[in-house]
Amino acid sequence: MRRWLVVLLSATLLLMVASALRANEYQRVVFGSFSTSSAAQRWAAKVAGTLEVATQVLPFTSNASQGFRVASQPLTPSRCLDVQRLAQAHSWPTWQYAESHQVRAQKQPVAISSAQSQSPKAVLALSAGKADPVANALSKQPSSPVSKPPGNPIARQVEQEFDLDLGMQSRSYLDSGNVGQDRWQASTSLTLQWQRSWQDGRRSLTATPFLRIDSQDSERTHFDMRELFASAVGNDWELHLGARRVFWGVTEFHHLVDVINQTDLVENIDMEDKLGQPMVQLSLVRDWGIVDLMLLTGFRERTFPGDEGRLRALLPINTDRATYASAAQEHRVDGAMRWSHTLAGVDFGVYHFSGTNRDPQLRLVSLGANEFELRPHYTTIDQTGLDAQANLGDWAFKLEAISRSGDGERYAAANLGLERTLVGAFGSRSDLGLVLEYMFDERGDETTNSFFERDLAVGARWQLNDLYDSQALLGVIWDTHSDEVIVSIEANRRLGQHWQLALEARLFAGAERPEQHSLLALLVDPKQKTAALQRDDFLQLEFTRFF
Amino acid sequence: MPDLLRGSFVILSFLTFSHRLAAGFRPLGFAVTAWLATQGAIAETQPAVSLGEKLEAELVAAATPSERGRLVALAADTHDSGYIDLQVDLEMVLRTAGGRSTQRELSIKQLEVPSDGDKLLVVFSTPKSVKGTALLSYAHKQGQDDQWLYLPAIKRVKKITSKNRSGPFLSSEFAFEDLTPQEVDKYSYELLRTAPCKAGDCYVLQRIAKDEHTGYAKQEQWLDTKALLTQKIDYFDRRGELLKTLDVANYQLFDEQHWRALNLVMNNHQSGKSTELRWHNYRFATGLDADRDFSANSLRRVR
Repeated sequence: MRRWLVVLLSATLLLMVASALRANEYQRVVFGSFSTSSAAQRWAAKVAGTLEVATQVLPFTSNASQGFRVASQPLTPSRCLDVQRLAQAHSWPTWQYAESHQVRAQKQPVAISSAQSQSPKAVLALSAGKADPVANALSKQPSSPVSKPPGNPIARQVEQEFDLDLGMQSRSYLDSGNVGQDRWQASTSLTLQWQRSWQDGRRSLTATPFLRIDSQDSERTHFDMRELFASAVGNDWELHLGARRVFWGVTEFHHLVDVINQTDLVENIDMEDKLGQPMVQLSLVRDWGIVDLMLLTGFRERTFPGDEGRLRALLPINTDRATYASAAQEHRVDGAMRWSHTLAGVDFGVYHFSGTNRDPQLRLVSLGANEFELRPHYTTIDQTGLDAQANLGDWAFKLEAISRSGDGERYAAANLGLERTLVGAFGSRSDLGLVLEYMFDERGDETTNSFFERDLAVGARWQLNDLYDSQALLGVIWDTHSDEVIVSIEANRRLGQHWQLALEARLFAGAERPEQHSLLALLVDPKQKTAALQRDDFLQLEFTRFF
Repeated sequence: MPDLLRGSFVILSFLTFSHRLAAGFRPLGFAVTAWLATQGAIAETQPAVSLGEKLEAELVAAATPSERGRLVALAADTHDSGYIDLQVDLEMVLRTAGGRSTQRELSIKQLEVPSDGDKLLVVFSTPKSVKGTALLSYAHKQGQDDQWLYLPAIKRVKKITSKNRSGPFLSSEFAFEDLTPQEVDKYSYELLRTAPCKAGDCYVLQRIAKDEHTGYAKQEQWLDTKALLTQKIDYFDRRGELLKTLDVANYQLFDEQHWRALNLVMNNHQSGKSTELRWHNYRFATGLDADRDFSANSLRRVR
């Protein structure tokens, strides 16, 4: 295991060094591409004469088509920008082109020195051909024949983006909480997204800090670096360094195979909010699929709602007293490998993960007479997973499966799903997606870390295809053994260009409402997994402003 | 007999000149286009006969309206292949009958795959609520297209069932089938008449999609007789009533060979809604890579 990690780490480092070296390579400025060599040479001469830069005509083939690119000599990055600015003054579109093996493999380029300009003879020939169909076509056009790019073409090379989402959320609960918590919870969230990229996106830095301030729950008032990473991208490889979010899976209700990031459970109980995971990720694109190699450095503990918050467990969870199976505790370095591909119309991914379990066991600890708390215990697991999806006509067939060892006895779990999209439902222009999923866990009633051991789920997604991107989602999860039911409704609509309104409601039924004397009994009853949530039916409204 | 002779001469001359025609119909890249306009045009690659004149001669030889219609469609089709790859920005304005409007901005990358259908990557930049959402599509000549949607909020790549051809494209008045490549063999044709239009004279071509999932009983396509560029299309719904009209304006010639219209307006006569497409910043043969720019990984990278 350790040897494997060392190999992976050194390979990664080598690639990083290689990519850093490549980043300093000279670049060409491309002034256009042409299908005939003579046209390309004429343009090369024109550019050379006007901008006083040495140009070349580089033949290239792409997908069996032959073309001729007019490019500068290789230049330093800063000189590239200067030349592009000069070209921009003439409204000539340009782009940068990294010298690659494809170009080098071609014939010797035709060099045109900057001194050589348009000969008078050539200019004469140019003014002669009035009968040219192109000239005819152009002359009949009412507007200017040049398309002026609306943006700055140079800005495409070094790009910086900055986005800010401000969310204002209100949750109203039907009842007061199990320990008398308030029925109303308000919070504000801020998500900042910053990205700076170079070389047409081949190198980039990304940062996505997230902050929520909650009126009720001090645990829910929290900050997380959702993303903070550097990327290098080659033609068939990618390298990412830093905190990222990686999603794997195909089903809608339960993301069984999604294993890389820790759940930010204080955000929502749907487990779709995740904490940033520090990692080194190398991704290789091959004819036979995409291979991801990941070194996960630094474990993130799951967040849990605090004592005064809602949607919490029956007993307080003391996250300060978390325990680990591994001697390295939270400093254990984890690893994962995944191969994904499309074969015969089936998208699939197979992975192996070895590391600290993201799903903690909650251990009951007695603090004295009639006083208990739960403490997270993180085991070390080996998990092999598979996700696959095949689409046939309007139907999608989905499968997620895992086999996990190290968390009790080895066990397997699976999700099976079916999705159908009805286009133009109800004779309107809206689309209706119908989802049916079954979730299965081999451990059955012994399942401790998941609601989904023998559950059936149905869902409907209604997309209105209107001006406001309105959509609604209805989901019902039914535990076939205990008859517990969770209903969820989500809907959102844009209000103008910069605002969005989202509505979310969840209802819990089928389990006993907890009372002080029954807490311990409910805690261990496999037919009462949702007992803690029975008083937490809520309606949530959220306004988001996008800057 | 003289007619027959003339006909064979026309065909012979067409065969002789067809390769020169193809070469001559590629002027000089859009930067050069501007230069041409000021300096005059180039004589060297000028074809002996223009595309429109060539077609006129062919049409004389064709017997039935449907043969003539197909000839027009074939001649018009020569514009489009060989672009290798392209990048372009699209601004989309949706308007309701009541005058409310919303705006979307997308950037598009497309890669020509000669042996199969093309690869397409569409990335949204506005409205901000959908920023970063992206669509990757592999068109296939045979069988179902592959399509994936990227949902940036949870970093998820989702394989989606390819949309029914008659469904709306991004809530606009354009259906998917209005924007996908118009393969000649996917329609049957009839040349109805020649009529004056804003570009001078136009062929009015009736075409009926062979695909049973089409949303239209028929379409009437107006192509100018000189360059054979689509100027207008009337769409008739399944009951045969006029449903929509597409107006195409501001054609540009890029890289000597690719005609692209920069403004498309689709008016729905029945609902009063309209959609305007404005294309900006066309770039051809920019060196896109199938692995780097059109894999599931590239979806996850978009911003």
